[in-house]
Amino acid sequence: MNPSLMTALAALGSRREFLSRLGGGLGGAALAQLLAMDQLATPRSTGPGDPPLPHHVPRARHVIQLFMNGGASQMDLFDYKPELFRRAGETFDPGSGQRVEAATSEPGKVLRPQFEFRQHGQCGRWVSSLLPCLATCVDDLAFFMAMSSRTNVHGPASYLMNSGFLLPGFPCFGAWVSYALGRISEDLPAFVVLPDTRGLPYNQRGNFSSGFLPVQHQGTVIDMGKAAPIADLRPPAGASFVTPAATGDGLRLLQRFNQAHLAENPGDSRLDARIHAYELAARMQLSAPEATDLQGESAATRRLYGLDSPVTADFGRRCLLARRLIERGVRFVQIWSGAGGPTNNWDNHANIQKELPPMCAATDRPIAALLQDLKARGLLEDTLVIWNTEFGRMPFSQGGEGRDHNGGTFVGWMAGAGVRAGVAHGESDAWSWKAVDRVTTTYDFHATVLHLLGLDHKRLTVRHSGADRRLTDVHGKVVNEVLG
Amino acid sequence: MKWIAALLLAVVLPGQAATAVPSQAWWSLQPLVRPPVPNGPAHPIDAFLADRLRQEGLTPTAAADRRTLARRLWFDLVGLPPTPEELEGFLRDPSPLAYEQLVQRLLDSPRHGERQARHWMDVVHFAETHGHDQDRIREHAWPYRDYLIASFNADKPYAQFVAEQVAGDALFPDAPPAYVALGFLAAGPWDESSLRDIREDTLDREIARYLDRDDIVTTVMQTFTSMTVQCARCHDHKFDPISQSDYYALQAVFAGVGRGNRRYDPDSATHQRRSELAEHRTAVERGDAATLFDEGAQRTVAEWERHGVGEIAWRVLKPDVFVSATGATLTRQPDDSFLASGRHGPTDTYTFTALSPLPHPTAVRLEVLSDDSLPMHGPGREPNGNMHLSEFQVLAFEPGSTVARRIGLRHPSADFDQSGWTIAHALDGKDETAWGIFPEVGKRHEAVFEIAGPVDLREGTRLTLVLRQLHGGHCIGRLRFSVTDVPAPVQVCGEEVRQVLATPELHRSLAQRVGLARHVLLAAIDAEIAALPPPALVYCGANDFEPDGSHVPVREPRVVHLLHRGEITRPEKTAQPGALGCVTGLPARFDLPQPMDEGARRAALARWLTAPDNPLTWRSIVNRVWQQHFGSGLVATPNDFGRMGGTPSHPGLLDWLAVWFRDDAHGSQKQLHRLIVTSAAYRRAAFFPASEPTAAAASFGAATAADADDRLLWRFHPRRLDAEQVRDAILQMSGRLDLRMGGPSDRMFDLQPGIHVTPLVDYGKFELDSAAGSRRSVYRFLFRTLPDPFLDALDCPAGDQLTPLRNAGVTVQQALVLWNNAFIARHCEHLAARLAREAPELADQVQRAFALTLGRRASDEELHDFLAYAREHGLANLARLLFNSNEFLFVN
Repeated sequence: MNPSLMTALAALGSRREFLSRLGGGLGGAALAQLLAMDQLATPRSTGPGDPPLPHHVPRARHVIQLFMNGGASQMDLFDYKPELFRRAGETFDPGSGQRVEAATSEPGKVLRPQFEFRQHGQCGRWVSSLLPCLATCVDDLAFFMAMSSRTNVHGPASYLMNSGFLLPGFPCFGAWVSYALGRISEDLPAFVVLPDTRGLPYNQRGNFSSGFLPVQHQGTVIDMGKAAPIADLRPPAGASFVTPAATGDGLRLLQRFNQAHLAENPGDSRLDARIHAYELAARMQLSAPEATDLQGESAATRRLYGLDSPVTADFGRRCLLARRLIERGVRFVQIWSGAGGPTNNWDNHANIQKELPPMCAATDRPIAALLQDLKARGLLEDTLVIWNTEFGRMPFSQGGEGRDHNGGTFVGWMAGAGVRAGVAHGESDAWSWKAVDRVTTTYDFHATVLHLLGLDHKRLTVRHSGADRRLTDVHGKVVNEVLG
Repeated sequence: MKWIAALLLAVVLPGQAATAVPSQAWWSLQPLVRPPVPNGPAHPIDAFLADRLRQEGLTPTAAADRRTLARRLWFDLVGLPPTPEELEGFLRDPSPLAYEQLVQRLLDSPRHGERQARHWMDVVHFAETHGHDQDRIREHAWPYRDYLIASFNADKPYAQFVAEQVAGDALFPDAPPAYVALGFLAAGPWDESSLRDIREDTLDREIARYLDRDDIVTTVMQTFTSMTVQCARCHDHKFDPISQSDYYALQAVFAGVGRGNRRYDPDSATHQRRSELAEHRTAVERGDAATLFDEGAQRTVAEWERHGVGEIAWRVLKPDVFVSATGATLTRQPDDSFLASGRHGPTDTYTFTALSPLPHPTAVRLEVLSDDSLPMHGPGREPNGNMHLSEFQVLAFEPGSTVARRIGLRHPSADFDQSGWTIAHALDGKDETAWGIFPEVGKRHEAVFEIAGPVDLREGTRLTLVLRQLHGGHCIGRLRFSVTDVPAPVQVCGEEVRQVLATPELHRSLAQRVGLARHVLLAAIDAEIAALPPPALVYCGANDFEPDGSHVPVREPRVVHLLHRGEITRPEKTAQPGALGCVTGLPARFDLPQPMDEGARRAALARWLTAPDNPLTWRSIVNRVWQQHFGSGLVATPNDFGRMGGTPSHPGLLDWLAVWFRDDAHGSQKQLHRLIVTSAAYRRAAFFPASEPTAAAASFGAATAADADDRLLWRFHPRRLDAEQVRDAILQMSGRLDLRMGGPSDRMFDLQPGIHVTPLVDYGKFELDSAAGSRRSVYRFLFRTLPDPFLDALDCPAGDQLTPLRNAGVTVQQALVLWNNAFIARHCEHLAARLAREAPELADQVQRAFALTLGRRASDEELHDFLAYAREHGLANLARLLFNSNEFLFVN
């Protein structure tokens, strides 16, 4: 050990001693602060006197959210409505003088679903021919058949489904979970987002934002379409001066230098936290590439997820990666299907028959594979898989062959930890125009997922601008009917 | 439990008029009274603080050493560290007033306004894109940023600063900056899909309007009064005396405001002339008799008629080449017009070429004609009979030449303009705007374009007319061209004017004379307006802005209803413009002589906000400024002075400062900064010196135990540099900082068209060494949904939420970014190059690196370590360590 470090440590030692007499060792306090920030250690307490989180025994430890960007057409996939076949081509009239409006178009005639429906599994769930693989899994799923949104516009609806508010700037679902429950692994973030390699969804990174929560809770994006899937994990390729030796020696000297500075500035846990942050960063540099490397998976597994077919490989990779991340301690993984914009997503305004099948084909086999794989590995025991979209589509046509946005009713499902498999909750009207019976709002859905994670959505709050903000705003009730 | 106490109070005490909760009971609503300064230190701030410290038995730390203090002050007042030369200059300054003089120099520096503007941009959530699914770039948002910088540098009195941002156009109509100030109202996100693109008759559109006003109301009231009025949107405020009726009264204030690009003249004289012309035009348009029959006006009319400009001899062009770009069939008709049929694509460009029948044409006329073969009889091919002409161009080919010469066109006029689709759009160079004629379909229309300047066409010159029609199938169905050589002005006469001209002067009715005068005068005024220098644009909240599709200004404020539980489907009574009932002595509802005057509503609110008797406004701003210097305000919740917020740690000091700032400093923020940073409290050390005897350590320990958060300000609380301070400091240290001020923002990313509206933004592809990468971060382009990952990791807000106080966390992500980001890597190389340039020996280079980045010399031990490291791994790696050091990242 060189003399300067000796001196630094000597000073540190005496000051540590001094401060520990004041109560609480410095190292302990600093680490606690960093861990509290990144939630590596004990769960968070929401306020003095409140019990620590989770609020109750959780059923789920991980969440994988599959998000179909654009508004998946419920009546062409799950919400089987014979009325639409019977009334095809007629003027859409829900009766009793109810106003019929569409967000972007003049309401057209009733549009018949173009795909054959059959009942599947023990539970007899109706699924259209577009999702043959998922249809074999229906006995593992709990369906929300009558979800409703507050809006028919992508931006606000995506924000609502992701953050519980129509406006930008609120923490998203994964950020809340990260904030409440923290990391499981020291080496990987709590909340990871896997966007469609063709582009980010509507609202871009706004959907993964930590809002007014500290920035470490925002989704860490892993973009498998990029040469460096995680930003700033490594120095840029052009920085030739950075060699492994320079980095290794440099980190050692930096830590020593920072320790000496800490000794001069005792009692500030942020300074100690930064020293630890470099150690944790170094660990993440090692563990993240291992987690994202799919080469180690068996040929059978790769085939299961559809990595052998150009149709399914892209989405399949994200599903397989999600499983690997969950196995390594990531708490919340959000997988996107579809970029923002008018095409290559679930926003099928122009032609349902042409635009919907490719989206289904790309995701059907990988999603079924994910469910089967998680189940086979026992991971579904404590992993919740949820399938969402921001709203549904209209029973009448837009321009003859497409469907416009419909926040009135849409479908979501969940599977895995704590879920009562095989149930279908709620019902839309005869046309799948509005949710009418046992309606699930976006707030109810969020409340239910939080409940499964051991969180009471009413007690998970953060004070911001004069209000105790929640993921569920001032709404939401747990849908007990889908709980196992 | 504060809120329980609040509820109890609400029950026990008699209520104010507006709500059940008594307003006087809460500290922030109490009238401002200047408390006496306690006996003690001479500086009033220190007197108040010492009083408390004495009561609590705490001993403050000693004064910080000058080197530490200098770095603190520089970062605080200008957002940059001192250069080694500036620092040494200050340290060597023997003057007893060296510190005070330094404070003054820094406050006078243009860098100070840049720093203050960035604070303000956080508070008002300024960014330069819309921030929803259609995150479109606002090309003209930056003038507001420059307004802020200029205002802070000019030390604009606070009341004026507030009033300009809320109602500058109404209160200071003669001052161009007052229009730019309205960028404040439009600083936040805007939902383009809901407010522009979805159908206008939907509930979603109406919901979006309420939410849009909610953002404006929230921004105004949080920023200036630190009250959380937005909590009263669905019900009366649960904790503060703010009723739902108050909230919707504030919505009503902004009921005529839309966000968009507003024209303004940066030059005062032009601004003045344009205002006069606009006023004159309004009077003429209104048919104001005094204006129309004024002697000068009548002379103009007579002149116009005498020159025979009223009757224009048009020569019809006979094109021999005519092409549709997308394959529509164009067929010549007997009257030399052309009829389109057959293929009908979403867009088309027609090109006609004809011999010019005149050597000196002064204008070109386009007639769009009705035809029974067209939908609704035309003149367009769209099912509703409409047409949209996006751009019109005329080219000239000299005989034998294959090179075209563009003929400049100006002063376009048409006999009819569709609302929002005026003839001017056919010449504005923008593909997305156009001239349309809806709903006047089934009729002939004409547009006339003057040729700019005299042209001299050799015989045999051919004219090519290009009609770009790019708007969703709105192609022209039948059309014809003519030229004339009568002297300018050449304007279209509507049917009405033509009839007047056909009537002998003595037989003209009053209405006909009015119509004629109006026509002539409007053309003359418009010509003069067109000759003014082109106006600039600012993206702002206004009652007048450039229409954007279906998002257009409204003539008078919209009706705002109180919404039961905030539900759009449950409107209750109509809201009247007003503010908060809980501020005593100020009107809760505005008594306006002309309630439908949009600007008057905002002007009334501006007066309410800036009233000397408004205790919220003055407490709010002194608390914000205090927070900048101490890291935390006297009230720790800068945007919430209500019961869910904090209470002042030093109520007397807060009130004293508020009154002093209002009355003695007359709202001068620079004086307030000076007052604060010259206090002993600001100059305290963060720690006891390492060499200090045990007594100092013991009192430090006791104070830490009693007040670890330093609410009583017994020490200086070290601060992590914020995102901009980090980036700007690194630019300066590596010798790259470019101090050019103002203008369009620097886009520190590669920009490509996206799939839909939102572009593709790649920060990784930015050329770091380009000029756009070297200015201060306040000039950085701010993309809401795609923030810069480097600054994001350092807690730079993205402009989605009002950010009165940034997070300043320490995270693993942040360590990764500072260690690996391309900006850091590249600037390590720049700093290394600078060191190599400026010092000959490695040891000197290491010392220079310490001086530049940390503002001090390396100790012998440090020099030993870092020298060894630099020898082994080079100066760039050395720079990387220093940029990642805690000592660099924190200010003591």
